[in-house]
Amino acid sequence: MIGKPTRGLFSVLRIILGLVYLLPLMWIVLTSLKTSDQVLKDPNALLFNPTLATYQAVIGSGVGAIITSVEIAVCVTIVVLIVGVPAAFALSRRISPAWNRVIAIILAALLVLQMVPQPMTVIPLYSVLASWQLLGTLPGLILADIALLLPFAIMLLRPFVLAIPTALYEAAEIDGASAFQSFRRITVPMLSNGIVTVLSVVFISSWGEFVYAINFLPEGTVLPVSGLLAQQNSVYSSNWNGLMALAVLTSLPLLVVFIFSQRRLINGLSLGAVK
Amino acid sequence: MFFVAPAVVLLVAFAAYPLFVLIRMSVSDVGPTNIVGTWHFIGLANYIQVLSAPDLWFSALRTLGVAAMLLASNLVLGFLAGSILSVGGRVTNVVLGIMVFVWALPPIVSGSVWKFLLDDNGAINGLLHVVGLARVSWLSSPNLALWSVAGIIAWAALPFSALIIRGGLLAIPRDVIEAAALDGAGYWRTQFQIALPLLRSTMWILAILTVLYAFKSFDFFYVVTQGGPGTATNTLPVQSYNTAFSGFNMGLGATIAVISMLFVALFAIPYVRSIRSESDE
Repeated sequence: MIGKPTRGLFSVLRIILGLVYLLPLMWIVLTSLKTSDQVLKDPNALLFNPTLATYQAVIGSGVGAIITSVEIAVCVTIVVLIVGVPAAFALSRRISPAWNRVIAIILAALLVLQMVPQPMTVIPLYSVLASWQLLGTLPGLILADIALLLPFAIMLLRPFVLAIPTALYEAAEIDGASAFQSFRRITVPMLSNGIVTVLSVVFISSWGEFVYAINFLPEGTVLPVSGLLAQQNSVYSSNWNGLMALAVLTSLPLLVVFIFSQRRLINGLSLGAVK
Repeated sequence: MFFVAPAVVLLVAFAAYPLFVLIRMSVSDVGPTNIVGTWHFIGLANYIQVLSAPDLWFSALRTLGVAAMLLASNLVLGFLAGSILSVGGRVTNVVLGIMVFVWALPPIVSGSVWKFLLDDNGAINGLLHVVGLARVSWLSSPNLALWSVAGIIAWAALPFSALIIRGGLLAIPRDVIEAAALDGAGYWRTQFQIALPLLRSTMWILAILTVLYAFKSFDFFYVVTQGGPGTATNTLPVQSYNTAFSGFNMGLGATIAVISMLFVALFAIPYVRSIRSESDE
């Protein structure tokens, strides 16, 4: 058991740990509330007149970026769910030995796809999208994002599907329900936790994705917020306040998701992540 | 079962087929002019060129260095953080919430803020200056930049491993821990001699995931240093990306990508095996 001195040490360590993660976040917000002049004069000032001027400037020029981000993230999330939920369902039903073998092969393939580093897919996808006339278009980028996130989504959903008792399916079968009916009446309603988890994770990831965005969208088009941030970042500049305001905008959906579903997200990730 | 068909079609077209294209690229002469068009088959010329240049081996060493640092951080610090966070009340929940939030932040965001914090005139150096220490060129010194970025990645990855290890610790039956306490074992002795061995399979999977993560890590390098200064932070993924998109040699970039995939496969095989044996049970 934990002795008293250890307990005290733990409290201190916990607070240090919290600060190590909290302070950089606060630094983003703090800097985004400064003006360029203030940042140029003293980038580390703690006392200053907070202003929303940077946000006004960023949003003024970045409405298009936000719209692009919303389009991408919404499309990617919807398609990943529409395609991923049935797939996770099919990959959890052990109905025959032959099908079990198919499941094993597909699962191994999904694991491998999940492990392919993104710079390794960005090179060939560039040429694949180009030859299918999808390079430089939003649908092309969306399809690439879907393929990037789908394996992860299916793997994350599967433990939730497996947790549904098989007796329910057997009962439905006795009542003469087709596979589609059991999917719609049993799986989908009982999967709400899993769907919310995957929905949040996919939305956040596609909102923050930038490697595909900066490579697959042509120069001069409206980049999503994350792409804009990446682009601004690579140009050498000391426009830190602008960068940090963009960083806040890029993290906004995550913040919203966190406010609504923090506990569900933490539990869902612990359930699905290592399994 | 056609429930799985749409997913398979999508993944074959936009994930599996590109991998095939990647391999074809690696044995062809592909540049920006003929990216759409015919590729000349040049056999293993790209491989010979890449493997005989020292750059690739330096990149591989740097990638292994990052992997080693991440392993130390994720397993050792992860175990300590997981232990600290497996007890306690409201403060624990708040700290856990903040950490998971940071872990879920897009790397472009957490990378940007660290680029700012570690800038020569950034807040970390400002802090060092205030306490009377010399400023450090975290990101502009070729010797230090790699470790600075590795540190940023470790910071961003720690919440995940702490969360997983914490989950494992909480799943250990209470009476096992209490029995050890009755025998007079102190807290850390119990943690290391009873809890740690019970977590062996979790730690093992975490270790493989960490190495894979190191070989995948690209976003942070892209955001913070883009491989620089010079080639000081060129890891395998960074070198392959830069060769393809900054050096405009797609074929050579693809070759480096294939070679680093072979490294990934080396670590991926035991992982896939362990997952499969688990799901077969």
